[in-house]
Amino acid sequence: MGALMSETINGVAFAILAVMCVGGALGMLFTKNIVHAAFWLLEVSVAAAGLFFILNADYVALVQLLVYAVAVAVLMVFSIMITLRRLEDAIRPRDFSALAAVLGVLFCSVMVYVLLAFSAPAVQKLPAVPPDIAAFGKLLFAINGWALQFEIASLILVVALVGAVWWTMEGED
Amino acid sequence: MRVGLEPFLILAAVLFSLGLYGAVSKKATVMLLMSLELMAIAININLVAFSRFVTPRTMDGLFFAVFTMVVSAAEVGLGLALVLAIYRRSRESEVDRLSQLKG
Amino acid sequence: MNWLLAIPALPALAFIAMVALPRRVRNNILWLPIGAIVGATALSWAAFAQVWPGGGELTSVAWNYSWVLGVVGGRPFELGLQLDAIGAILLVTVTFVATCVQIYSLGYMHNDERIGWYYAVLSLFTSAMLGLVLADNLLLAFVTWELMGLCSYLLIGFWYQLEAPRKASQKAFLVTRVGDLGFLFALMVIYKAIGTWELTDVLSSIPTWAPGVATAAAIGLLIAAMGKSAQVPLHVWLPDAMAGPTPASALIHAATMVAAGVYLVARMMPVFLAAPAVLQATLIIGSITAIVGGLLAAVQHDVKKVLAYSTISQLGLMFMALGAASVGAALFHLVTHAFFKSLLFLGAGVIIHSAKTQDMREMGGLRKYMPITWITFLIGSLALAGVMPLSGFFSKDEILAVMLHGHNYWAFGVVIAASLITAFYMTRLYFRVFEGPEQDEHLHEGHISMTAPMVALAAVTCVIGFSSVRFAEFLGHEGEWPSLMLIAISAAVAVVGIGSGWWVYGRRSVVVNTRVYKDRLGLAYGALTQKLYFDAAYEILFIKPFIFFAGLLAVFDSRVIDGIVNGVARGWIRVSSVSWSFDGIVIDGAVNGIATLSRQAGTSLRKLQSGRLQSYQRLVLSALVVLMVCLVIYVVVKGA
Repeated sequence: MGALMSETINGVAFAILAVMCVGGALGMLFTKNIVHAAFWLLEVSVAAAGLFFILNADYVALVQLLVYAVAVAVLMVFSIMITLRRLEDAIRPRDFSALAAVLGVLFCSVMVYVLLAFSAPAVQKLPAVPPDIAAFGKLLFAINGWALQFEIASLILVVALVGAVWWTMEGED
Repeated sequence: MRVGLEPFLILAAVLFSLGLYGAVSKKATVMLLMSLELMAIAININLVAFSRFVTPRTMDGLFFAVFTMVVSAAEVGLGLALVLAIYRRSRESEVDRLSQLKG
Repeated sequence: MNWLLAIPALPALAFIAMVALPRRVRNNILWLPIGAIVGATALSWAAFAQVWPGGGELTSVAWNYSWVLGVVGGRPFELGLQLDAIGAILLVTVTFVATCVQIYSLGYMHNDERIGWYYAVLSLFTSAMLGLVLADNLLLAFVTWELMGLCSYLLIGFWYQLEAPRKASQKAFLVTRVGDLGFLFALMVIYKAIGTWELTDVLSSIPTWAPGVATAAAIGLLIAAMGKSAQVPLHVWLPDAMAGPTPASALIHAATMVAAGVYLVARMMPVFLAAPAVLQATLIIGSITAIVGGLLAAVQHDVKKVLAYSTISQLGLMFMALGAASVGAALFHLVTHAFFKSLLFLGAGVIIHSAKTQDMREMGGLRKYMPITWITFLIGSLALAGVMPLSGFFSKDEILAVMLHGHNYWAFGVVIAASLITAFYMTRLYFRVFEGPEQDEHLHEGHISMTAPMVALAAVTCVIGFSSVRFAEFLGHEGEWPSLMLIAISAAVAVVGIGSGWWVYGRRSVVVNTRVYKDRLGLAYGALTQKLYFDAAYEILFIKPFIFFAGLLAVFDSRVIDGIVNGVARGWIRVSSVSWSFDGIVIDGAVNGIATLSRQAGTSLRKLQSGRLQSYQRLVLSALVVLMVCLVIYVVVKGA
């Protein structure tokens, strides 16, 4: 990916990836088949990883792919499968809430407005310094870096694991 | 064409809003969780974009993104376990049917 | 001379003492009122001695004194007594008759349980009469006048448990009240004219009065006298008043109270002299009364009623004498009448007591069983009939002489006619009661307490006639014996009257059957038995309309007044029910409304807690978005 390093980000790449993201999101929301929705989510995760790549965050992109694209999406598909009786049940009626749409639109517009109106002078120029994976790794495990947060994150994972196991195991005894 | 910070942020905002819409309006529990994931993705995009453009050397955003990913993964796992547990108990997997806390 | 006050005061004190005591004590303390009246009698004789030999002007006063009781309206208010010739005569007469009556009552009212009250009222009455005689101003005279009326009411209605005495006492009071209005009227007229009621001032100031004043005052006084002395048409109360105890009738309705009217006119004769028209009216009224009284007496069956109508008739004669401006003749007849009429009443009392009935038709042959009563009654009857030499003869002759003197020949004729009728009915009474077949065996003489007074009165009746000349001189007139012609005329009248009575009622050989005469008289007899329809006329003219109006007022009261009261009550109930509804609807509505509002609010708000996750989400999100928008707008506006 170093080859793609440049002073600016290629607008075309961005545009494609952005379209893939938003389109995927829309697809996920407006499809009647929840299995399809899961796959749309997968697609959005991949597009997001692409975005990470053009932002020179290789490590984060890969982690994104691993976690979301593989684990989360698969997990989704599995749970869907378990909760379905028949294949036809995957098709749900369209559930559209006007209130939610209004809220979402409002939220979005406010955010965008704020972004555009109050942000600092636009940072157009990409800083020349690329992210350094090695430095990233060092910082991640450094005591005066992010080691504590790392440990806590792992703790969270353990707890979640135990909890999940407990929830799913509960009715079986 | 050079793309600055704002487009990323706008994209993230849109994605977030879409996720918000889904979280608020979808009836299937799994769809709810998926919308939450979508929001998490949007957040990550935001974080990484900020990290790249504002603090490229300390890479704070990147770390933050990694950790949020961890948390949201844990959350998804837990959520799905809950959905399965509820499904087993009451054969319901739709959020608006789960209204036993109705006052 | 201040002891004069004791004369009316002694019986008054006896009255107060009797009234203050409880009944049991009262009934046993009868020596007290009797002692009081005896004392008053003695003092009256002493007073008479003070005035003797008299002979002054009619208006001259032997003694006068007043006690000042206080100040009213700037003037001293005085209670005054005066003693003059008229007063002295009446004092003696009244006290003597009253003493006889009180002693008689010891026997007559012996078993009555309210005898104490009887004596008390009797004493009060005597005190009032004596006060009237001694009064020196017209106001005091009026007060004692009224007091006598009250005592008469109380005594007539003594046996109030029965209906007849109750009605009779009311009738007496109301009819004499009409007369009292006349008295009041006269009082007002006199006060307006001269500003005082002192008798001496009034009588001496008459020449100074304006022309109509004397007439007005005289009319008022005449009406008053008519009421008290039972002149037609105010005579209707006297016969009914016989429902009272007989001795009370003797005192009040024979001797004293009914004589008060005559006394008043005699006293106020100067006023009447200044109003000749009224004098003439007095003469006419007296004439009518004399004839009417006599005629009605002739058809009565009740012994006492005969005597009552006889009294009316004799009072008429006295009024005739007054109408002829002769105070002497009137007063002489008053005195003699007092003695023999009270004697007759007391005798009637003994007869009734013994025969247990008042109806003549149920009596007969009493002569054998009660000799004293027979003799005394006979003396009294002959005196009334005007037989020589009893007192009645002399006094009647005086009246006849006066009539002749004044050239009132038709009045003379009236007196003759009245005497005839009098002799007739008294003979009738005598023969019916004392002679003829007996109808009852259980007859006995009266107790000595009853017979002794009768004997005393009879004795006086025999003697007093001969004092006629002296009497007139006492009053300041010239007195003279009746002329021979007059003696002959009156003797003839007496013979004719008694004879016709004997013819109808007294002949032993013929069975007394009056039906033939009644049929012959027909309508006249009917009218007489109906008391000449006086009572019936009064009933229609006055009593029925009065009751009618009273009924109207009662209806008015129950409909209008009660209607108003009930209407107000109903209105109030409506108001309070409105208030109640207001309370129920508005106040309770508000309170309940709040409760309902809370419940509905709760029910509505409960829907917020749907239990659905996404509802909560939307709520929170909405709030958040709203806040965000507001914040942005705020910042933008502030920045701009």
